[in-house]
Amino acid sequence: MKEIKRVAIALGAGFTPGVNAIIMGAAISAHRLGWQVVGIIDGFEGLLFPERYPNKGLIDLNADTISKLNPLESDAMGTASMVDPFNVRSINDLDMVEEVDMSDLLLQNLKKENIDAVIAIMMGRGLSILHKLNLKGLQSVCIPRSVENDMAATAVSFGFNSALSFTIEMLDRAKGAAKSAHRVGVIEVLGAKSGWLALQSGTAVLADAVIMPEYPCDVNRLAEHLKSRINRDRPYGLVVVAEGASFTNLSGTTTSEKSMALKKALSPLAKEEESGQFVINRSGKAAAVLSNALQSMMTEEIFPLVLGPWTRGGSATAVDRQLGLAYGSASVRALQSGQSGTMVSFMPPSMQFVPLIDSLNKVRTVQEESYFIEIARSLGIFTGE
Amino acid sequence: MENYLDIKGRVLNIQRYCGEDGPGTRTTVFVKGCSLRCKWCSNPESIKQKYELDYDRKLCKGAAACGKCLKEPFPQGAFYVVDGPDDKVHANWDLANITEEMAGLCPTGAIGIFGREMTARAVLDEVLKDESMYRNTGGGLTISGGECLLQPDFTAAILRGAQESGIHTAIETAGNVPWAYMEKVLQYVDLMLHDNKLMDAERHKKWTGVDNKRILENFKKAYEMFPEKQFITRTPTIPGINATEEHIRAVLEFIRPYKNVIDYELLPYHRYGTGKYEFLGKVYELKDFESPSDELLQHLRGIIDEAFGRNTQEK
Repeated sequence: MKEIKRVAIALGAGFTPGVNAIIMGAAISAHRLGWQVVGIIDGFEGLLFPERYPNKGLIDLNADTISKLNPLESDAMGTASMVDPFNVRSINDLDMVEEVDMSDLLLQNLKKENIDAVIAIMMGRGLSILHKLNLKGLQSVCIPRSVENDMAATAVSFGFNSALSFTIEMLDRAKGAAKSAHRVGVIEVLGAKSGWLALQSGTAVLADAVIMPEYPCDVNRLAEHLKSRINRDRPYGLVVVAEGASFTNLSGTTTSEKSMALKKALSPLAKEEESGQFVINRSGKAAAVLSNALQSMMTEEIFPLVLGPWTRGGSATAVDRQLGLAYGSASVRALQSGQSGTMVSFMPPSMQFVPLIDSLNKVRTVQEESYFIEIARSLGIFTGE
Repeated sequence: MENYLDIKGRVLNIQRYCGEDGPGTRTTVFVKGCSLRCKWCSNPESIKQKYELDYDRKLCKGAAACGKCLKEPFPQGAFYVVDGPDDKVHANWDLANITEEMAGLCPTGAIGIFGREMTARAVLDEVLKDESMYRNTGGGLTISGGECLLQPDFTAAILRGAQESGIHTAIETAGNVPWAYMEKVLQYVDLMLHDNKLMDAERHKKWTGVDNKRILENFKKAYEMFPEKQFITRTPTIPGINATEEHIRAVLEFIRPYKNVIDYELLPYHRYGTGKYEFLGKVYELKDFESPSDELLQHLRGIIDEAFGRNTQEK
């Protein structure tokens, strides 16, 4: 393994509060080993299109720069909406749009800049892309970040605690509004594939129900549960629903032959949706759909609210600030020990290193035997199954 | 010497009994590859020229019952299972570089490939199966996409073959190709259905990836150099993007001098293609946009009818 003298930090697509803490943790640890540290501006774009940026798309993360960073913020390097050097959208010589594989150019430019290894702060598809770069010879370590805490092989992803804290604060307010207006709030929170944010925040605020993607919710049963909880002394309710939740017994799900014919005309390979189960695949709609369904079954007034994008903004919590520094520092230890193609994993009480391939195709879902499910049920919270 | 029908092209799908892509009942040939990236695209599987994984998770039997795609010869990480009661396999499109032979190993057809190579002759053979229906209904062949003009020789060959068999021919195009491509194909076309998505160059670039300068130039040349052909212009009508009187009137002004532009149609935007983004592992960027209301469409169509001298009630 080549001796490391200079490392780059790359930040994948999407906003997570407090990423500066990771950058600081990595840079300070690397400086202590005598390594230089640079940040690639806007994901990999800085090195794919260095002519578009000052300083050839790199930020010198020296001791002075690092000392001026605010660990609560995420403003050190910028982000890109897409970070896929294998499919870079371009306009060719014939003025046509096409996707071009620029991964070789990226590796060449890393070499040209004497960058020996990359610390990549990634989530979702970013892991697969990093894996493909590893297969092409890039030495890298991945730091998991996900406000939904759905990344496998780590107990807690960076960013989850900040999102959880904010969600709890918002749910408290929604509950207050429901209480004062004698209404039932149906509040949609992030969670396309896993319900950690819904479950943990819903439990914290003692919601009446938490609906997660892992457990399709029978709307009739949910309505019955709410009716059993709402009375003259407690004339309000709160349902927390993850954006990826699915429902059964929801009216209006059958597709008429007429509309299917139109669908096929406009979109020849469109396939009829599975009937019986209604899957929400559009952020912001789970709350609206569930509210409508409940309203038709209940006399209390229902109001939907979507927290979605609000949760991604803001500052980091104390927990994420510490976790960020720890993840950053551990990534340097991984590189120092010659590792590549690995992900830093927080398995309390220690930081561990796991092969990236073992985590990139897994989702950390809420399992039936999870302690958090047990807590919720023991508190009388309906969890959908 | 090779016959012109020996030429090969990339076809996505051949759909018989279509009623939307020209007069009568038609066969529509969807070819693969597009030179625009419209954010509202309802045929995302037609965008890229290269073949792509088509995975319909609903058809999967589950890892325990099958699990073939979790082993060789499938690439490592291409398919996977998430912990939990649902053991249907998930696909990782970034790692799923699979062949048609591999797709054939899936017993339920959940795994497929978008796109296949065909000769113009093979396409024409499919089209000719419904020859009598075209005659009875006044229908014919339509080549759509993707962008059918991205494969000008292939498209021209199919159309030529159809015309030589006496079949009415039409194409659907967005027009973003070099003029030579369009010119080559137009000689074998009876009707050209073409989009006019946005008249403002900057907004066109924002929503489709390129500005509309060449597109508009191509359409003007087509109207002028092929006066015997028929043209219908169309707008995929999307509130917040182009569902405005301003856009409709600008398009009408653009086509006004040309008598061979026989109609202007509005195609109301629907989210019908969004499920297919899932089959492709892609994100649908326009998910928060709504379809135009019936009232808005009626109003905008009224403007068009007036320009074409039609009574709205009759249409």
